[in-house]
Amino acid sequence: MNRKTVAIVDYGVGNHTSVLRTFQALGHRCRVSSEREILAAADVLVLPGVGAFPAAMSALHRDGLASYLCELARQGKPFVGLCLGMQLLADASLEHGTTTGLGLIPGTVRPLPGMDWHIGWNSLETVQHDPLIAPSDGESFYFNHSLVFDVPAAYQAAICRERESSFTVAVRRGNVVGLQFHPEKSQASGKQLLSRLVEGLGHA
Amino acid sequence: MLKKRLIGVVTVKNGWAVQSFGYRRHLPLGRPEVLVQNLDRWGADEILVQCIDRSSSGLGPDLEVLGEISKLGIATPLIYAGGIGGREDAVKVVSHGADRIMVDAMVWDSPQSLEAVARDLGTQAVIAHLPVRMGEDGLEALDYRDRVEQPLGSWLERLPLEWVSELMVTDWSNEGSPGSFDERLLTVAQLLDKPILCFGGISEAVQLQRVLAHPQVVAAGVGNFLSYQEHALQTLKKQLGSSAVRTPHYEVRR
Repeated sequence: MNRKTVAIVDYGVGNHTSVLRTFQALGHRCRVSSEREILAAADVLVLPGVGAFPAAMSALHRDGLASYLCELARQGKPFVGLCLGMQLLADASLEHGTTTGLGLIPGTVRPLPGMDWHIGWNSLETVQHDPLIAPSDGESFYFNHSLVFDVPAAYQAAICRERESSFTVAVRRGNVVGLQFHPEKSQASGKQLLSRLVEGLGHA
Repeated sequence: MLKKRLIGVVTVKNGWAVQSFGYRRHLPLGRPEVLVQNLDRWGADEILVQCIDRSSSGLGPDLEVLGEISKLGIATPLIYAGGIGGREDAVKVVSHGADRIMVDAMVWDSPQSLEAVARDLGTQAVIAHLPVRMGEDGLEALDYRDRVEQPLGSWLERLPLEWVSELMVTDWSNEGSPGSFDERLLTVAQLLDKPILCFGGISEAVQLQRVLAHPQVVAAGVGNFLSYQEHALQTLKKQLGSSAVRTPHYEVRR
């Protein structure tokens, strides 16, 4: 295994311990930080998140972190958004009004189709042969969300099905990946997927 | 499709994990974090840590217990219950490592606080707890702090349904007695349109199968009965033999 440095972006929202411990268990060096030097020096950036989109964006805009993250992503730095962190990659979200997102992957975050929430373990259905995400096809991951990233097909990497609806749960644009579920809370399946992403992004 | 969930329940009193019997008798089991670690290793679909002495004593959430659990870096979603009096407590609980919260006393004392909690954490993170039993005149909700029961209707009137995502129905009087969950409690489902989690006296695969077959039941909690043998959770899932639940998971140690 190629040991990498993973920087978990700390913008004052939620608890990062599970994400941190997961990457440590995978054998990578981890930093939880909002300092530019540390983020710039990392091999992979991870943007976690819980709570509401507007509050998270407002926290990211403090001290210009949002624009710095966009700059790093546009330079090709591998970047993984988890749960709300995936939604923040979008152009905008309709949660509690309309809020502009990071705009790293085109699309809008909207309420789930035909249901209030999507809570629990569901199987991933990959829709493109992405070498990093496709091996997780059919595996179960833990979800806990009420909005989804409505993304053009070109950036859709995986979907889930529930109550005769299907919706996007993984997105990818080059080195930027978003996962709607919690891989850090998805036991072995989550660890395997994160391991592939950290080792493969920047190469695949 | 979403799988039905098997929730491993750890009951905590005075900082120690206990076996609980009918909300009356408690026997010590050990450190909560050890039980949580086992459930994580066994592949529980969720873990509920409920600290039963916090609201009655006005102590607030048990952040010390949560902190110890958080240090483990478990890979299983964690629900926390106990001592959450309002928005600030709820935010602290999540910042100490819980993924979701369950509230009970708050429904009795300040149901209006649920909106602020849900706006901060997202409604999907909020579960309401209903300890209930079938009385002579129908379903009765229990305020466990002073052991006062009220007709379920008055409890439902208090609950701001739009700010909770799921409801845990606990058969408190049969808690701790094997295979004794009173399935008549599932008539709660006719009164509100919410996904239901069941807990209390559920130990046998046959009953678990029946309970999980109910269309509104999305999960069942098992507590004491998982403490008696290694891999108890995987064994229960195997006995269920149902594609409705996630297949048993065995951690590979390297």
